[in-house]
Amino acid sequence: MKKILLAIALMVSTVAFAQVPSVTVENAKGETVSTKSLLEDGKPVIVSFWSTTCKPCIMELDAIYDALPDWLEEADFKVAAVATDDSRMLAKAKSFAAGRGWSEDFVLLFDKNKDFMRAMNVSLVPHVFVLDGAGKIVYSHTSYSPGSELELLEAIKKCSK
Amino acid sequence: MKNFLFALLAAACTLSANAQDKGYITGSLESNDYIYQDDVKSGALAGDDKFGSNSYLKLDYYQGKFSAGMQIEGYLPRAIGYPGELSGINLSNIYATWTDDAFSVTAGTFYDQFGSGLLFRSWEERALGLNNAIVGARVTYNYEDIVSFKALWGLPRFGMGVFTNNTQRENTVTNTETQVRGADLSFAISNLAHWSNVFLSVEGSVLSRYEPISNDLVDEGGKPTTFGYSARANFESNGFFAKAEYVSAGKKYFQNPDYTSDKLFLQKNGNAQLVEFGYNGKGLGVTVTGRRLEWMNSQIISGNVSTSNLMNYVPAMCTQYTYMLTTFHPYSPQTGLVLPSFINSGEVGGQIDAFYNFRRGTALGGKRGLKVHANFSTYYAIANDNLLFRDFSFDVEKQWTKKFKSILLYSLQQYNDSYGAEADYMTQNIVVADLLYKWTPTFSTKLELQYLQTKQDKRDWMAALLEVNFAPHWSIYASDMFNHGATKVHYYNAGVSYNKSRTRVAIAYGRYKSGFICSGGVCRTIPAYTGASVTITTSF
Repeated sequence: MKKILLAIALMVSTVAFAQVPSVTVENAKGETVSTKSLLEDGKPVIVSFWSTTCKPCIMELDAIYDALPDWLEEADFKVAAVATDDSRMLAKAKSFAAGRGWSEDFVLLFDKNKDFMRAMNVSLVPHVFVLDGAGKIVYSHTSYSPGSELELLEAIKKCSK
Repeated sequence: MKNFLFALLAAACTLSANAQDKGYITGSLESNDYIYQDDVKSGALAGDDKFGSNSYLKLDYYQGKFSAGMQIEGYLPRAIGYPGELSGINLSNIYATWTDDAFSVTAGTFYDQFGSGLLFRSWEERALGLNNAIVGARVTYNYEDIVSFKALWGLPRFGMGVFTNNTQRENTVTNTETQVRGADLSFAISNLAHWSNVFLSVEGSVLSRYEPISNDLVDEGGKPTTFGYSARANFESNGFFAKAEYVSAGKKYFQNPDYTSDKLFLQKNGNAQLVEFGYNGKGLGVTVTGRRLEWMNSQIISGNVSTSNLMNYVPAMCTQYTYMLTTFHPYSPQTGLVLPSFINSGEVGGQIDAFYNFRRGTALGGKRGLKVHANFSTYYAIANDNLLFRDFSFDVEKQWTKKFKSILLYSLQQYNDSYGAEADYMTQNIVVADLLYKWTPTFSTKLELQYLQTKQDKRDWMAALLEVNFAPHWSIYASDMFNHGATKVHYYNAGVSYNKSRTRVAIAYGRYKSGFICSGGVCRTIPAYTGASVTITTSF
């Protein structure tokens, strides 16, 4: 245990701002892509972790989807929906996203063995992050109740300033 | 190995602390605490401890291309229903990784899977008490977006893992001598040929598994090392997709239940075929899955019956429900069963899922659109073609006004509780109405009304749930499931949760029925319990 505590102490002594780690995920076509590709155009991005069996996740993404045309008038950003469904539900998650219309407006990523989820230390979905154009995490929130999405726009506006 | 990894981690942290870019730490903490009480009505027992506590602390350090981390788990004692080999507090994961543009190297604990996971998957599912992380080494290499290769070696974790002390080893089955070696190659033909509208890749994996075996099994020709492989193809073009996978999972050995036979063991060859195809377009998604399995139960420790004793992933390919009354008889795939009276090699079946969004302004879509979904799943035992599970369901989601949304679900479930040995099955009809009303932009209520009709088992049930949400922080709910068909027992439950940023605290009290907890299509059985729980999750 002493060694563990020592290691933790060493780690904590080096704190800086958290960023998006480089992890490989799948895109809608099934190609392997790096999470760093989210930052290529330098726009802020809302990253929402969801799954087909998580009702609040779906409500949150629907709420963002409905509000998106208005929000885009106020700030320039994009939305990435990261499905944490594993291979059992992977094909279903793609069909589900298409059936909701999300595939037109969101960047869809599929994290079938939860590598991205683990790297971002997400224990529960829904979990949403706002990243500035450089990939720095400027806002994050776990769980969803109708109306929580309003905080996302505020966070996006702050990074656009 | 333990000391080596600590040294590596400490050295890396010290080095990076001196560097200009100090890197950053991220982590998460999850704590689930329960207080149990005896309950005559449901038959729940509080147990000797009357208390359960499962906690997980995970820390990761990132500095440029280097990362390292660890996880500590505590079961003090484990919550009711969790696998018996989880006990005490221990370092369960520790790793260091170097990730470059084209390659990565990992030493220590890691998770990975080949293809759909039918051949090999290591993953963590805390709700199930499952963590079969591999402790060893892995290298990955990518050549542009054309070739991906990985190779790994290690010991799958079982119970509290490899970093246990002697006392823990004596008290629980904690570690195994099982080792795996594997490699996986994926080749994107379309990217090499620069096809613009078509994605086509071929993939293959090999896996060798070593576990010491008894002399009796050696005498009958058994081998400690078995080999498996999988071959796969993926295709996508303009929304149409198709995927095929063939798996040979290698030799499997079972105790022969026929004592009159001169063979002590049965030797079987694990194999699986999986096909998925469909179309995803604007507002429409259709997926068809077909799968056949024989002897596909790949274990870490042969013969151990713990639900966490898994080395591959054979999920139930059907709808995973979340409404209370829809989850009574979740389907568990048949991956080979050897009983004195019944031997079944596996199952064959499939499912079709269709999602459609009637757009705004259409006759059915109205002002705000209408979303519909239907699923049909059916599975049969290979030994005798008996029905194992069948489900037909559809749900309709309608946003009526800016404030009011409804979801209606119907599910017809048929379930064989003899694992296919008998032809009889249970039939149940379930309806759910899920009504959401937004009183103000941040104040909303959700009401669920559910009914289950069946002439078998405990006959009819009804259930209701009311949830009141004060976004973004507070949520309160109360629910009751009532078996008015036979036992007349109420399964009540109430709770409150508070969320702020990356922290969630939830308190609940209730009477829970015995049944299943399922996550990702893998289920574990849980006994009935009554009591209070406090769950804290946070990350930083």
